[in-house]
Amino acid sequence: MNFELTQDQKILRDSVRDFVEKEIKPIAAKIDEEHRIPQELTAKMAEMGFFGSYIPEKYGGAGLDAMSYALLVEEVSKACASNGVYISAHTSLCCDPLLNFGTEEQKLKWLPDLTSGKKIGCILLTESDAGSDVASIATSYKRDGDHFVINGTKMFITNGGCRGTGILFATKDKALGHKGLSAFIVDLSSPGVTVMKEENKMGIRGTSTAAFAFDNLKVPAENLLGEEGKGFKIAMETLNGGRIGIAAQALGIAGGAFGRALEYSKQRKQFGKPLCAFQSVQFKLAEMYARIEQAKLLVYKAAWMKDAHVNYSTESAMCKMCASEAATYVTKEAVQIHGGYGYIADYEVERMFRDAKITEIYEGTNEMQRIVISKALVS
Amino acid sequence: MKILVCIKQIPDMASKFKPNAAGSWFSEADLAFRMNEYDEYAVEEAVKLREKDPASELAVLSVGPARVVEALKKALAMGCDRAVHVPDEEAYRKDPWQIASIIAGYAKKGNFDIIFTGMQSQDRGSAQIGPLLAGMLGFSCVTTAIGFSLEGRTATAKRELEGGAKGVVKAALPAVITCQLGLNTPRYPTLPNIMKAKKKEIAVLNAAELSSEAALAGTEKFYAPVKKGTGLVLEGGDAAALAGKLIDVLKEKTTVLRG
Repeated sequence: MNFELTQDQKILRDSVRDFVEKEIKPIAAKIDEEHRIPQELTAKMAEMGFFGSYIPEKYGGAGLDAMSYALLVEEVSKACASNGVYISAHTSLCCDPLLNFGTEEQKLKWLPDLTSGKKIGCILLTESDAGSDVASIATSYKRDGDHFVINGTKMFITNGGCRGTGILFATKDKALGHKGLSAFIVDLSSPGVTVMKEENKMGIRGTSTAAFAFDNLKVPAENLLGEEGKGFKIAMETLNGGRIGIAAQALGIAGGAFGRALEYSKQRKQFGKPLCAFQSVQFKLAEMYARIEQAKLLVYKAAWMKDAHVNYSTESAMCKMCASEAATYVTKEAVQIHGGYGYIADYEVERMFRDAKITEIYEGTNEMQRIVISKALVS
Repeated sequence: MKILVCIKQIPDMASKFKPNAAGSWFSEADLAFRMNEYDEYAVEEAVKLREKDPASELAVLSVGPARVVEALKKALAMGCDRAVHVPDEEAYRKDPWQIASIIAGYAKKGNFDIIFTGMQSQDRGSAQIGPLLAGMLGFSCVTTAIGFSLEGRTATAKRELEGGAKGVVKAALPAVITCQLGLNTPRYPTLPNIMKAKKKEIAVLNAAELSSEAALAGTEKFYAPVKKGTGLVLEGGDAAALAGKLIDVLKEKTTVLRG
């Protein structure tokens, strides 16, 4: 058993860390305030290969492993959770299903624009009445000659406002439940696609979370992803991998908040001593650090299992659950260690506290993760 | 054009250093390592030169334990074509003369036109490798370059002098250039280039076959500075009494005043 990263993974982590330190950290507060990731940063991240980490080189990706992808999202999220999910939703929820279920023609057609960052990817799954209950999707499709015609609405679409490439789920007949679902590759700048709303959120404010309406959207028949009627399976398998991305994001948020809390506890003096000299603060730091390390082991293990091509659905659910709960815990304690300063926006832990919460909710609430884990245990 | 860049891997300078068991150098336990900062400028300058001439070839070399392969891989991911590792688990025991002799032993056979390296290492800081190497090879040598250009076989380097003055030096190839902060901004290894670097060659050469030179200077001792005693504050009483106390302390505990 070996807990060491490989030399290549260390080079990647250090390179990403250096990039994040210089290019992302200084503008993370601005990204949060202005609710947008600057185009110039997207271009720089694209040049670094952040949008195609583990996608094979023949589709324009870097061809690295899932472990490298987890390290990338973690390091980026230490400074900016918005960028963490920007990369994660793009890679795990759009590039990944294309790679796993697409035909060779589809991969060659759609992946290069995604891996180069020319188009930002998203998944269009959630609807107002279909969140955790994916089988209740009401957006419908109908075959019409060499096209499918799609009608309906979607909401809470991470990266939706980028209007890049989307993997859209729709049903042939709602009465069929999950058996009626199919997945389509959609160019979100097409006629028939309308962005209805950009959500105003508690955290990850730099990313777009959009609501869509589809009004007789014509999708060429060759854009059907996988077999017709296999949409549910595609969605579930995609979310499975996506959890590693979100867990890595949560791990990064926790690590970022911990680093700032530790540093602050050494600098800030009260009663003539630095905060870290008080046992009450020391115990907090110990608990925070231990929870991060617990989560890290689970996240890295799930990524390692994905690379080893073994079934990792229980591990991905556990790593997402534990890392997100570590993130909300650690950011809460980081604010507490900062005292009053932790509550104001000048100190980054305020933003991190707001960013952390979503990791317990999206890409499967932690309640859904517990269902996944317990099903594997008792079934 | 054949280009060589020589790099060293050094500990993160923010680390806490402890002497090793023999007290001869620092202990490597718990230290994180990275490429020497000045060598990063050297790699960047070499890669820039390499990119200008597709026919040129750029090799990167490091002498040191197995861990230095990580620094070599980083240099490959930054754009070097191939790497040379000269394994030496106890390279820290070798003095600059020996390290430069090993590099010269390799470079002599390589017909290099230009060699870049950092102006010094961040850990030992002897700043001798570049000049020694140039001497051994009979190359021109320019140290602490903060600007560099090449026209034909003539290198022009800008140097930073004492007091902030600048100087411009022209040197005929073959030459050794040692690189200083300000020369360039090293690129980040991109993800695709990290992947491509995996396929590049890392040759392993035997140090003993490259040089058998003995050390000219050996490190005798490595130790943390002795902790100074805590300060003393004299309080209470009038000025004359305090002055009296101060004189007593100075006589008793220092050599400032003698009794």
